[in-house]
Amino acid sequence: MTKSLLSVFLFSLITLSAFAQKRHIISGTIKDASTGETLIGATIRVKELSSVGTATNNYGFYSLSVPDGNYTLLFTYIGYETISRPVSIQHDQAINLALSSKSDLQEVVISANRPNNDQIASPQMGVERLNMTQINQVPVVLGEKDILKTITLMPGVKSGGEGNSGFYVRGGASDQNLIMLDEATVYNASHLFGFFSTFNSDAIKDVSLYKGGMPAEYGGRLSSVLDIKMNDGNNKDFTVQGGLGLIASRLKVEGPLVKDKGSFMISARRTYIDFFLKASKDSTIKGSKLYFYDVNAKANYHFDDHNAIFLSGYFGKDVLGLKNLFGTNWGNSTGTVRFNHIFSSKLFSNTSVVFSNYNYAIQSFLSDNSFKATSQITDFNLKEDLQYTVGNNHRLKFGVNILHHSIAPGNITTDASSSFNAKSIEKRYGYENAAYVSDDWKVSDKLTILYGLRLSAFSLIGPGTFKTYDAAGKVADSASYASGASVKSYFNLEPRFSAGYQLNDASSVKVSYNRNTQNIHLLTNSTTSSPTDLYVMSSNNIKPEIADQVSAGWFRNFKDNLFEFSAELYYKWLQNQIDYKDGAQLIANQDVESQLTYGSGRAYGLELFLKKKYGRFNGWIGYTLSRTENKFAAINEGKYYPARQDRTHDLSVVGIYQLTKRWSFSGSFIYQTGSAVTYPTGKYNVGGLTTFSYSERNGYRKPANNRLDIGATLEGKQHKRYHSSWTFSIYNVYAHRDPYSITFRDSKTIPNTTEAAETSIFATQIPSITWNFKF
Amino acid sequence: MKTFKSYIILLFLLPVICSCTKVVNLNLGNNTGKLVIEGNLTNVFGAQVVKLSENVPFSNTNTYPPVTGASVMVADAAGISYPFTETTPGTYTANPLAGISGGKYTMTVVTGSKTYTASSVMQAVIALDSLSSRDDDFNTSKHKKLVTVHYQDPAGVVNQYRFVMFVNKVQVKSIYAFNDDFNDGRAVAIDLRVNDSGDRDFGIYAGDTVTVEMQCIDKPIYTYWYTLMQQGDNGPGGGVTPADPPTNITPTSLGYFSAHTTQSRTIVVK
Repeated sequence: MTKSLLSVFLFSLITLSAFAQKRHIISGTIKDASTGETLIGATIRVKELSSVGTATNNYGFYSLSVPDGNYTLLFTYIGYETISRPVSIQHDQAINLALSSKSDLQEVVISANRPNNDQIASPQMGVERLNMTQINQVPVVLGEKDILKTITLMPGVKSGGEGNSGFYVRGGASDQNLIMLDEATVYNASHLFGFFSTFNSDAIKDVSLYKGGMPAEYGGRLSSVLDIKMNDGNNKDFTVQGGLGLIASRLKVEGPLVKDKGSFMISARRTYIDFFLKASKDSTIKGSKLYFYDVNAKANYHFDDHNAIFLSGYFGKDVLGLKNLFGTNWGNSTGTVRFNHIFSSKLFSNTSVVFSNYNYAIQSFLSDNSFKATSQITDFNLKEDLQYTVGNNHRLKFGVNILHHSIAPGNITTDASSSFNAKSIEKRYGYENAAYVSDDWKVSDKLTILYGLRLSAFSLIGPGTFKTYDAAGKVADSASYASGASVKSYFNLEPRFSAGYQLNDASSVKVSYNRNTQNIHLLTNSTTSSPTDLYVMSSNNIKPEIADQVSAGWFRNFKDNLFEFSAELYYKWLQNQIDYKDGAQLIANQDVESQLTYGSGRAYGLELFLKKKYGRFNGWIGYTLSRTENKFAAINEGKYYPARQDRTHDLSVVGIYQLTKRWSFSGSFIYQTGSAVTYPTGKYNVGGLTTFSYSERNGYRKPANNRLDIGATLEGKQHKRYHSSWTFSIYNVYAHRDPYSITFRDSKTIPNTTEAAETSIFATQIPSITWNFKF
Repeated sequence: MKTFKSYIILLFLLPVICSCTKVVNLNLGNNTGKLVIEGNLTNVFGAQVVKLSENVPFSNTNTYPPVTGASVMVADAAGISYPFTETTPGTYTANPLAGISGGKYTMTVVTGSKTYTASSVMQAVIALDSLSSRDDDFNTSKHKKLVTVHYQDPAGVVNQYRFVMFVNKVQVKSIYAFNDDFNDGRAVAIDLRVNDSGDRDFGIYAGDTVTVEMQCIDKPIYTYWYTLMQQGDNGPGGGVTPADPPTNITPTSLGYFSAHTTQSRTIVVK
């Protein structure tokens, strides 16, 4: 049914365009002139036809249809020299181009770039594109530049707090973000309990975050999509670059495999915090291990102008060891094989086979308490995505996606002398399949509509014993299924719609609606993320989470697109949200689903964003006013209460200033309302201990968090063969204390009373210095 | 298993972070004057005690107004009632008696115009084999000691335990509640870690006299103590969102009624 509808739809579009004026297609790939990296989101416009333009896709490919005639094409990309190229269109043409980076022209990037008004013209809203130059200049803790930390400086995105790289988008929980590295899902995006993200910025080319108006090609999570693309590798020259920092070092090697046809890139990073442990007086800490490393690798080969293959992989691991007592490690690995094929100047295809894995192991070596516990989640994903340009007014995207999950929640092995038993929790298997179609329709010069539909089909499959629990957590039903037998299926239709109406060259209004569903859920009962957090799939007990979001925005550029301003309003309804019951036991529990309770939520807010895009001084101010609330029958007497990620005010200010050719300075300031917490409203004594009593869930606020970080970069003198730079940063310049936890306890100093004690992590300035090199 | 999570967190936080703790003033709400019932019935022949009090504001001293003039009794499964009389304000005791393993006991408290009831099943006695001590893996420079309890968990049945530790006759302010999810039928050794966020030197040292009471408790009472134990762990790494633990008393009040076995052992730490 869907298929036949689709063909009718396609047919009508094709016939419509056949009656239009005689048109031809210009298509091609845009690259960086010095490295051969494809450029994502480079724009191609026709000078003579103000309403005609497009941008390159994730593979640097573009396709544009224009009426026959003579034109001037403008190719632009932020930070690159614009190329204008006269063309005469009488037949379909391929134009492949290379743009030169301004820094390669040994010029400080202060001259105004060719202004562009993409933000005004595109119907897409709720999207944040981050460019690596900016990420590299924003100061961060301990000098490790970090994509996730920079993302949290954007409006509508809130950080999980110090020591937590989880982020919350428009009120969504941190597991409601789909984080993809070259299309592979990254389940745990943090190293060392969230102090660092798993993304080594050396290896990253492009970062896009969708907060709303989600395009139909993305699905599977409620709140956001963070789409991260790795560098392809320089296909002109071999280069080596790296950095030596206080706690981590990096090295990247890239170069051509076959000049102009294929290249590779390998980037690695390792921390050495454990060197600091050696300074400890405590012999156990002295003998401990504490580090992480990660490796990104990618290779590509272009058979010809129409066929290219890309291989990419990521491997990262965190290792902690307490002398000969105890050890733990966890990490992600991903692998992606992609094949691009250009059928014609109108039809672009990408086929991907993706592997993704996350696992952890905990091991105790104590003789009477020895055990090893492991857990893992493994995905195989087959994706086919097609882009089809129909006339100049329609750009279609459609595709299918077959994703197989297998989750091993817990496996404990022990030896005979241990206190512990071996235990294995049944593995779970599921398919998350989807098909989508979307159309970017230019209705008129002023109005563009992006609409689409995504069908998601989830099936939990055998083998195994599957139980249904009643509200009290007792087993109501239990049944065994054979391998591959369907236990429970859920189908959801997810409409997606955005429309942009351009008021004039410098302003537009946009509206959007999207529905998203989620079938894989994170269970955690601690207030911060932990490597042992557990994923479960939808089942007899757990229904798919559903979010509906509407948003509206006003977009305005000033001073010839030098300043970008936007105001967006959103409202989001959340269904089938999951929380745990009090006293829940989540670790290695066969009946973990009996420990859950279900409810709903709502989130709404206003996001304001002002950005200065170019010039010696650039940066942005983002402000969000929002509310996020949950409602669970068993919590807070069934009334709405503020979610943990609720922050009323959230302000970020980022400034980057190029003082001279060699010196640049940057600073970032954040202010956000404290997170919602539960504090006692009374105390009593049971079991000989002072015990606290509570009234409402999350009825209190931690103090507001605010912090200033500054950084400076000194570029080395220009040498023919090599280049070096120093980066300096100070995190938390005025030593603000951001309380990490508050403990209520009996006072030591005043007997027979109680006190509240707050613990903060970085209560001082944290300076750092890194030396970077490239040759 | 949970202890291992705190190991990881401790390990990471110790060296890197100047985790600074300071006492702060918070403006806390006041939902007090609520009834607290603490009822215990053990397998040891003697005076059994039910205490009634009220909760107080956080900023008050730790003295809790007794609830006097209540009518308290406990009945066994055979329907025999044991009346409790108020011996000191808020403390109600019965004539010496002992609970029997396998017996279900129901407490009834009538105070004001309300009647509260709770039932608890006395578990089988599992022997507390021994206590041992060794050097603590952490803080080796301070020469702290660690006390371990040893017992044989019976196979094929679900058991829950609570331990109460006293160092030089002072009760340690930590809750220890365990079940046999991970060690059913094993010879079990559990370290009773002592943490005090307010005093880094607090701990067990050579020469201290340590007494550990072992209670075999039923499942609802285990959930009660386990919930409190999880909330107590709200230092670095983040505990769970706190709430009043699920009680076995209806209608809901603060506190619990526990029929449990009890036995103690004492060692002098070397």
